[in-house]
Amino acid sequence: MTPPEALLSARALTVKYPYGDVQNVVINELDLDLYPGQIVGLLGESGSGKSSLALALMGLARHPGIVSGEVNFRGKNLLKMDDEELRQIRGNSIGLITQKPRQALDPLVNVGKQISRVYRAHSQASKADAQVRAVELLRSVGINDAERRVNAFPHELSGGMAQRALISMALSVEPDLLIADEPTSGLDVTIQAQFLDRMWERARDANIAVLIVTQDLGIVANYCDRIVIMEDGKIIEDRLTADFFADPHTAYGKKLILASGAGTKSSNAEVAIATTPEILRVTDLRKTFEVEGGKRLQAVSKASFQIHKGRSLGLVGESGSGKTTVGRLILRLADPDSGEVWFKGERIDSISPKEFRKYRSKIQAVFQDPFDSLNPRWPIERVIREPLDLHTEMSKAEKAARVKELVSLVGLTDDILQLRPGSLSAGQQQRVSLARALATEPEFLILDEPTSALPPAARADMIRLLKSLQDRLDLCFIFISHDLSTVRELCHDIAVMYLSEIVEMGTSEQVFSAPSHPYTRALLDSVLFHDPSSRRVDRKIKAELEGEIPSPVDLPAGCYLAARCPMAEQRCRDDHQALIEIGPSRSVRCWKSVEASK
Amino acid sequence: MRRYVLRRLAVGVLQALGITIAVFFVIRALPADPVSRIVGMNPTEDSIRQARHALGLDMSLFQQLLTFLGFHGDGVFTGSLGTSWVSGSTVLSEIAITLPTTIQLIVTSFIVALVVAIPIGMATARRPGGKLDKGVFGYGLFAGAQPEFWWGLIFIFVFYFKMGIAPAPLGLLDPELTAPKSVTNFVLIDSLIAGDFTAFKSALGHLVLPVLTLSFLLVGPLLKMTQQSMSRVLSSEFILYQQASGLEKKSIGRSTLRSALAPIITLTGILFGFMLSGAVLVESVFSLNGLGQYAVAAVLNLDFPAVQGVILVISVISLFVYLGLDLLLAKIDPRILVK
Ligand SMILES: Nc1ncnc2c1ncn2[C@@H]1O[C@H](COP(=O)(O)OP(=O)(O)OP(=O)(O)O)[C@@H](O)[C@H]1O
Ligand code: SF4
Ligand SMILES: [Mg+2]
Repeated sequence: MTPPEALLSARALTVKYPYGDVQNVVINELDLDLYPGQIVGLLGESGSGKSSLALALMGLARHPGIVSGEVNFRGKNLLKMDDEELRQIRGNSIGLITQKPRQALDPLVNVGKQISRVYRAHSQASKADAQVRAVELLRSVGINDAERRVNAFPHELSGGMAQRALISMALSVEPDLLIADEPTSGLDVTIQAQFLDRMWERARDANIAVLIVTQDLGIVANYCDRIVIMEDGKIIEDRLTADFFADPHTAYGKKLILASGAGTKSSNAEVAIATTPEILRVTDLRKTFEVEGGKRLQAVSKASFQIHKGRSLGLVGESGSGKTTVGRLILRLADPDSGEVWFKGERIDSISPKEFRKYRSKIQAVFQDPFDSLNPRWPIERVIREPLDLHTEMSKAEKAARVKELVSLVGLTDDILQLRPGSLSAGQQQRVSLARALATEPEFLILDEPTSALPPAARADMIRLLKSLQDRLDLCFIFISHDLSTVRELCHDIAVMYLSEIVEMGTSEQVFSAPSHPYTRALLDSVLFHDPSSRRVDRKIKAELEGEIPSPVDLPAGCYLAARCPMAEQRCRDDHQALIEIGPSRSVRCWKSVEASK
Repeated sequence: MRRYVLRRLAVGVLQALGITIAVFFVIRALPADPVSRIVGMNPTEDSIRQARHALGLDMSLFQQLLTFLGFHGDGVFTGSLGTSWVSGSTVLSEIAITLPTTIQLIVTSFIVALVVAIPIGMATARRPGGKLDKGVFGYGLFAGAQPEFWWGLIFIFVFYFKMGIAPAPLGLLDPELTAPKSVTNFVLIDSLIAGDFTAFKSALGHLVLPVLTLSFLLVGPLLKMTQQSMSRVLSSEFILYQQASGLEKKSIGRSTLRSALAPIITLTGILFGFMLSGAVLVESVFSLNGLGQYAVAAVLNLDFPAVQGVILVISVISLFVYLGLDLLLAKIDPRILVK
C-alpha cells in the first residue's frame, strides 16, 4: 500500500524569538508530515517546543516570535500566503484547541459572542443566526443550560466548561486538521474520556488528521496511531505507537516507558479486611461554604469512615468532589459544620486549637504543590528540623542526626541540606515535604495529591518511595488523588467521592475488580492504561457518563448522579440515596447497585 | 449599581472630610504664626489680640473646627469654605476662578497626551526594537531627566523668543484683549459663549505652550503603560487564539485595544489627581493663575481657610474622577463587579 499523500508537511520549519539582539531558536529546522485520518501524539519535556510547533503549523508564533521555513498545507505554503487566504484556513481547515482554555477566551467578551465571531469569520451567517448556532454548539458538547451559558463571561465558567466551549468551536467548522495542545489537561477523567472518544470517532469517520500534544502516555497508547517526540526544538523519535511501546529508541522515550511502569495494571496484592486497631474514625462529617448570593456550597456531606493501623485509605474522585476538604477537616484547617473526628479513641473535632496542638506531631500532612508548602527562604535542613523544634525535646545533635536519617529515608542525599527549596526539582521538593511530615514519627498522615504536580518520571519515583515507606514504617495514611492507578497501587481501602458524598467504599481489590456504583465504573473505565494493546477505543461496551457535574450549590434532590447516569430511573431522581452496606467493609450509595448485589 | 455609586460617594465624601480635618490640624501645628503676618511689623499686644480674635484663633482648636465645619454659622456643611485671611473674599469664589484655569490646562494636556501616547504605544508594542521604539526609548531618557518647568522654559525660549510663533507666556489671553464675560470661568468656553472668536483664538494660543509642556511629560508614563499593557495583551493566549481562529485583523485589533485599556485608564486617573495641584510649576512659568498657584500662595501666607478649601476641593474632584473612571472600567471589564 502506498502511503496517502500528506495533508500537511512542514519543511525546515523554524521558530525564533528575538530577545534584544539574541535569537532564541525554539523550533529548529524541523520536518514533519501529517496524514488524513491519522492521530499523532506529540510528546516531549516541558520546554522542548511542543506548543510552539503546534502553533507554527498554523503559521503562528507567540508574540513576538517569527516563523520561517515551509508549512505546506494541501501543497500550498502557509507562510507565503496573503493574510486573507491564511485567515480562511485558520479556524476553518485547521482547528486549534489550546492548552489553557480559559486564557484562550477573551475575558471581556461573553462566550456566545466569541463563538459566533469565529463562526461568522468563516461563513455568511447573520449575527442572529450565529448566536443561535453558538447555543447549539454549546449544547452539543454537553453544556447544560446553554441558552444561559452563552451570555456567561469566561471567568464565570469552570476550566472544563471553557475547554468544552473551545472544543465546540474547533469541531464546529469540520476542520481537515485538528491541532490539540494538551486538550484534556484541565478536564476530569470521565470528561476527558468523553472528549477523546469523540475526537477519535471524528478522526476515523471524517478522515481528519489530528495532532495531539500530551504528557500522558495513557492518551498516546489509547488514541494515537503515531508518536512524535521532541527535544530542543527537533524531532528525535517518530514512530508508530505499537512499535514505540515495544521498543523506544531514544533515551527520553525509554524513560517515559519506564516511568509508565507505575501506571500499568499491576495492583496491590490481595488485601484482607482490616483487623488491626482503629487509628482514625470520622462520622457524618459535613462542611458547607457560604458563596456569593448568600447560598451555601456543599463541599462534604455524610462522610464516615475509619482507618486502622498500618492501613491506607485512598480518597478518589474528580475535582471539586470534596476530597481535599475532608483532609482539611481532619487536620483542623477548617471546622466541620457537623460530624465527629476521633483519633485513637479521642474526639478531636471539638477541642480547642490549643488542645489540638498536641496532636499536630501525631497527624501530619503533605500537600499537592510542594513549593507552596516549603518556606523558600529556609535551607532544607531547617525546613526538616522545624517540626522537631516545635514538637520534641531533642538535643541539637539528636536533631541533626534525625534530619540526616530523614533525608536518606526519602531517598535524598545530605548535600541538599544547605540548599533552598527553590533550587530543588519538584520531585525533590516533594520528598522534602514528606521528610518533614515524617520527622515526628506521626501515627497518621494525610497525603493530598502529593504526586499530581510532578512530571511523570518523578511521579513514578515518588510512588515507589511511598510504597517502600509503607512497608518499612507501617504507615497509616489517607491518600487523596484523582489518579486511580496510583491509589490502586498504594491503598488498602478506597472511598470514591462524587459531589461531596462518598458513593462507594471497599477494599482496593473489591472496588477495582468489581466496581459497583455507576460512577465508580465510569471512573475506572476512563483510566487510560499505558498499553496500546488494551485500548479504550477497542472496548465494545464502555461505562460512560453524560454531560457535566452539577453545581455543588444547587444540588439535585435525588441521587446526585441521576442527570449523568445511564441507568437512572424516576426513583433515582426522587429519592436521595443512602450509603448502604453490601458486604463486609463494602458499601455503595445507589439502590440499583444494592439490589444487583443481592 | 446606583447603590454602589451612592456608597462610593458617601465613603468618598467622608474621606475628603477626613483629609481636610487632618490638614486643619496639621497646619495649626506648624511652628509659624499666621497672626504675625497679618499685623505687620512691631505690632502692639492689642492689635495681636484683636487679630487673633478676628481670625477666630483665640477659640479652642475644637471650637475652631466646629466653626470651620459650620456648626456656628456658615461652614463646610452649609457650602461655605470661609473667607481668605489675605484677600478677604470667600475661598469658594477664589477657587471658582483659579480651578477652571487648571482644569482647562490639564484636561487639554491629557487629551493631547493620550492622543499621542496610545497610538505610538500600540505601534511600538507591535514592533519592539523597531525605529519608532528606539525613538521612544530616547525620548524616555531625555524627557524624564529634566523637570517640567525646565521644559516650559525651553519651549518658551524656542517658540516665543527664537521663533516668535507662540504668544508671550503671560496668562490666559493677550493683555490688550478684554476677557469675555465670565460664565463658567473657563476662558475657552466663556469666549465661545460670548461669541468672541478673537478671545477664543488668543486663549487657545496661550494654551499651546503650557499644554505642550505638560503633555510632553504626561506622554512618558502613559506611553510606557500603553506599551506594557499592549505587549501583555499581544502575547496573551486569547489574541493568539483569535488569530488561530481566523478572525479578521480589525476584529482582533479591537479586542486587543479594549483589553489593553484598563491600566491606561487607571494611570490616567492617578496622574489627573496628582496634576490638580502638581501643575503648579507649569502654572508659574506661564503666569497662569491656577489652583496650584493659589494653593502655594495660601500655604506661604498661612492662609488657613484657603489651604483647607483647596484640599477639600481637590479631594472631592479626585473622588469624582476616580469614581467616573471606575465606572468606565467596570463597563469595559465584566470581571469588575459594580453592585
Ligand atoms: N474556602 C472555600 N470557599 C468556598 N468554596 C470552597 C472552599 N474550599 C473548597 N471549596 C469548594 O468545595 C468543593 C470541594 O473542594 P475540594 O478542594 O475539597 O475538592 P477536590 O476533590 O480536592 O478537588 P481538586 O481535585 O480540584 O483539588 C469545591 O466545589 C470547592 O470549590
Ligand atoms: S441511584 Fe440511580 S442515578 Fe444514582 S447511581 Fe444509582 S442508578 Fe444511577
Ligand atoms: Mg484537591
